[in-house]
Amino acid sequence: MDMENTNLFEFAEFDELESEHIAAPRYSYWKSVWRTFFKNKFTVGVAILLLIIIAFALIQPMISGYSPIITPNINNASLKFVKPCKDHIFGTDHVGNEVFDAVWAGARNSIIISFICTAINMLVGIPIGALWGFSKKMDRWMIEVYNVISNVPFLLLAMILSYVLGAGMRSLIITMTCTEWIFVAYFIRTQVMIIRDREYNLASKCLGTGTWTMILKNILPYLISVIMTYVSREVPSLISYEVFLSYMGLGLGTTNASLGQSIAMYTSYMNGYPHLFWIPVSVLAIISISLYIVGQKLADAADPRTHM
Amino acid sequence: MSNNNNREVIVSVKHVDITFDAGTKKAFKAVKDANFDIYKGETFALVGESGSGKTTLGRAILRINPCSAGEITFEGKRISGKISREEDRNVVRCIQMIFQDPAASLNERATIEYCVSEGLYNFHLYKDEADRIAKVDRALQDVGLLPEHKSRYPHEFSGGQRQRVGIARAMIMEPKFIVADEPISALDVSIRAQVLNLMNKLKAEKDLTYLFIAHDLSVVRFISDRIAVIHLGEIVEIAESETLFEYPLHPYTISLLSAVPMPDPLIEKNRKHVVYDPSVLDQSGAPREMREVRPGHFVHCTEKEFAEYQAKASRMEKEKKG
Amino acid sequence: MAENRNVVLSAKDIEVKFRVRDNYLTAIRGVSLDLYEGETFAIVGESGSGKSVFTKTFTGMLESNGTISNGSVMFHGKDLTKLKTDKDWEGIRGAKISTIFQDPMTSLNPIRTIGSQITEVIEKHQGISKAEAKKQAIEMMERVGIVNAANRFDEYPFQYSGGMRQRIVIAIALACHPEILICDEPTTALDVTIQAQILQLIRDLQKELGFTTLYITHDLGVVANVADRVGVMYGGQIIEFGTVEEIFFESCHPYTWALLSSLPQLGIKGQDLYYITGTPPSLYNKIKGDAFAPRNEHALKIDFEQEPPFFKVSDTHYAKTWLLDPRAPRLERPEVIQDLHAKIKKMTDKGGAFHVE
Repeated sequence: MDMENTNLFEFAEFDELESEHIAAPRYSYWKSVWRTFFKNKFTVGVAILLLIIIAFALIQPMISGYSPIITPNINNASLKFVKPCKDHIFGTDHVGNEVFDAVWAGARNSIIISFICTAINMLVGIPIGALWGFSKKMDRWMIEVYNVISNVPFLLLAMILSYVLGAGMRSLIITMTCTEWIFVAYFIRTQVMIIRDREYNLASKCLGTGTWTMILKNILPYLISVIMTYVSREVPSLISYEVFLSYMGLGLGTTNASLGQSIAMYTSYMNGYPHLFWIPVSVLAIISISLYIVGQKLADAADPRTHM
Repeated sequence: MSNNNNREVIVSVKHVDITFDAGTKKAFKAVKDANFDIYKGETFALVGESGSGKTTLGRAILRINPCSAGEITFEGKRISGKISREEDRNVVRCIQMIFQDPAASLNERATIEYCVSEGLYNFHLYKDEADRIAKVDRALQDVGLLPEHKSRYPHEFSGGQRQRVGIARAMIMEPKFIVADEPISALDVSIRAQVLNLMNKLKAEKDLTYLFIAHDLSVVRFISDRIAVIHLGEIVEIAESETLFEYPLHPYTISLLSAVPMPDPLIEKNRKHVVYDPSVLDQSGAPREMREVRPGHFVHCTEKEFAEYQAKASRMEKEKKG
Repeated sequence: MAENRNVVLSAKDIEVKFRVRDNYLTAIRGVSLDLYEGETFAIVGESGSGKSVFTKTFTGMLESNGTISNGSVMFHGKDLTKLKTDKDWEGIRGAKISTIFQDPMTSLNPIRTIGSQITEVIEKHQGISKAEAKKQAIEMMERVGIVNAANRFDEYPFQYSGGMRQRIVIAIALACHPEILICDEPTTALDVTIQAQILQLIRDLQKELGFTTLYITHDLGVVANVADRVGVMYGGQIIEFGTVEEIFFESCHPYTWALLSSLPQLGIKGQDLYYITGTPPSLYNKIKGDAFAPRNEHALKIDFEQEPPFFKVSDTHYAKTWLLDPRAPRLERPEVIQDLHAKIKKMTDKGGAFHVE
């Protein structure tokens, strides 16, 4: 202690506004989201794996030019049912095509379809759901619409649509969006109702803020995290829908590659050549699980409570 | 001061009832026959305990709660019930609110700039971007905050600072009338005084009228010109602030007054706390209404009590002089 | 007045840290306190000052991310900071040291009857028969002012008003005749008229049962009403303590001055109230010097450099401020709180604003 220094016992200068400054570094929502997301090494690993898979699925088919109806090796018995080896990474199938090519071409279509369908469902479901949750008047009749639509059996609808519209990408997308959006809307409605009556919304009302601005500025920003959680489940579940419908013969049709198509096609060789079945199933599982993990971790990172 | 007849009335609450769940078994009358005027430029305090209906009544003026009987006027025009969209917009602009809990009443996902600009956007109260920024900066400076706070989020602020953001956001609308619903009770004691001072300063600068809702008479004495005491949905006494403290007449007011804790251990330890006992009121069932005991001093009472209160008031006045 | 009385509980140099994500927050920075038998001690401070956290170390109720990193709490020859499991605490928490919280509903189970909740505590700690416990419970309910207690024994918490619920919480807290009753903002959630009744009730029961009371509050009015001695907390430390008269009439720390000066009861209409600028310190950072210095208009340069020690004002009164150092310049107490007693007397005497008859 430097007790000699009596200058210390003078009054210090005092500035009233000085104490108003905030010393903490500036907060930015999205920066914090990314920082939290990238902090976890495992998540980053899964995200990189996912990106590689997606990039590969988009590029590889362009090089291989795979199509299930082009079968140049169908008469070459030595190229059929080859087990995975150095020359044929995933082996070959019953018509002598590379399983490697089939899987990536299938993954490409499955991923594209599920992304498009998720995008449509979200773009339609979120605004409708937000309005639905906000307006008590709309809730009264919307809930009836929801009851009707949610009770239509999905498989029945898929069958009808596939007969009416024929097989193919377009009809598959319509099948997977025409009712699915209402589940998104219902989910959003419930979330909106939870935060609708919070005091800051009343404050906005007192300032004359209209419904859409309120939804955009007061409600949706609070839902980023739950919407991400929803998307992270929706994408893989739509991939499985696609697989399921293709497997049932209601999907893309035999002329297009898809993971479901491959799995359906190869099931019959399960006993003799199990790799034909397990390879597309594993790829499907890896894509779904990594999509889910990345989505969940993003949703966690989007929750400001994790930003401390 | 006591001659209120030639003062301009800004808000008039006329025999207002507010019933929740009207027409059902749960129907509950939160406010009964509230009847008072608020004069331009004054701070009118509404004091009561939880469940007294004070917030309900304040929100009725903001058109959040509908009145089930009676009407509310603002600058002479009816604002309760159905009104045109244009009038509604006008009411929203001219009547603003300051909330009790600054943590709950600010949008946590919006920057301070957006929070304060929200009203400006809604009513296009700015020429261009530069004008809007200038207005926001000025509003923040008015409440003792810094322009650099614009890009911050509410959670980065302390309770007192947040409450001042809430005040800035209301003030930027250039309102004429402000409903302040317990604006300091959620704040720490050390910063309450700052918010009260600020409200007084802004009132003088911007020619405002306040309805100040509170549960605590000590705060109200400092800030308000007139006070209405409300108990279980009924206004029991209205008087000018000094009068109410000098001549409290209704037993409930007296009980509230006696409950104000005084920061003096020698006095507080021996202070008599009067418990409100409704049975001391006139139980004859005679009609009870607001009656003017002394000029500008109204008490909710029967004819018989009225005479007693008058006698008591004049006795107290005599004692004061003698 | 306190020196020849028994110390029931003695806390020494308590330091409490919380782990919040990757950060450590030091909520209590070396606090000592001796509680004397039968007294009422009030800890007053703002939110975040650490007043609740400090007293939670007496009952082992710190949140799971908090640890007592230093110090001891001696109670009947036992160091309470060494107790870990619920079993260790048996016989102390809820029995010898009871707590009443701000919101009565946090202590009551909404789906069980009032009576069963009181009898449970009595049975558990006294090991007596059900009938006997019920008798005692009803007696206790009557004691805390529940009219018609026998009939209300089987009612549920929602059938009670807020003030009545707090009375029940008091009954439960006192059911085992504790030696120390900790009241953590017991009246903050209640209406002002109910507050006065609850404070009176606790005081009457204290006189009757002779326990020691520790109040935690932010309200100086409550402090004046109940306390024998007062400790003022700021930034995780007690910065001034003394008898209640010393704190109200002869305070020495600028923070205590500021707290008293900003009371609206002392406000004069037409003049600004005194107020404290800025915000309490963040306890995530290491605090250099006096924690109050940045908000203190009377701060000395040394306040920003070195933490002040406790200076003795009287045998019972100590304050942690450099202003009491002989080298410091003389500084009068702010005007508003000079002659405080005379001012308040004027307000509450006949003709004053707060006089009632």
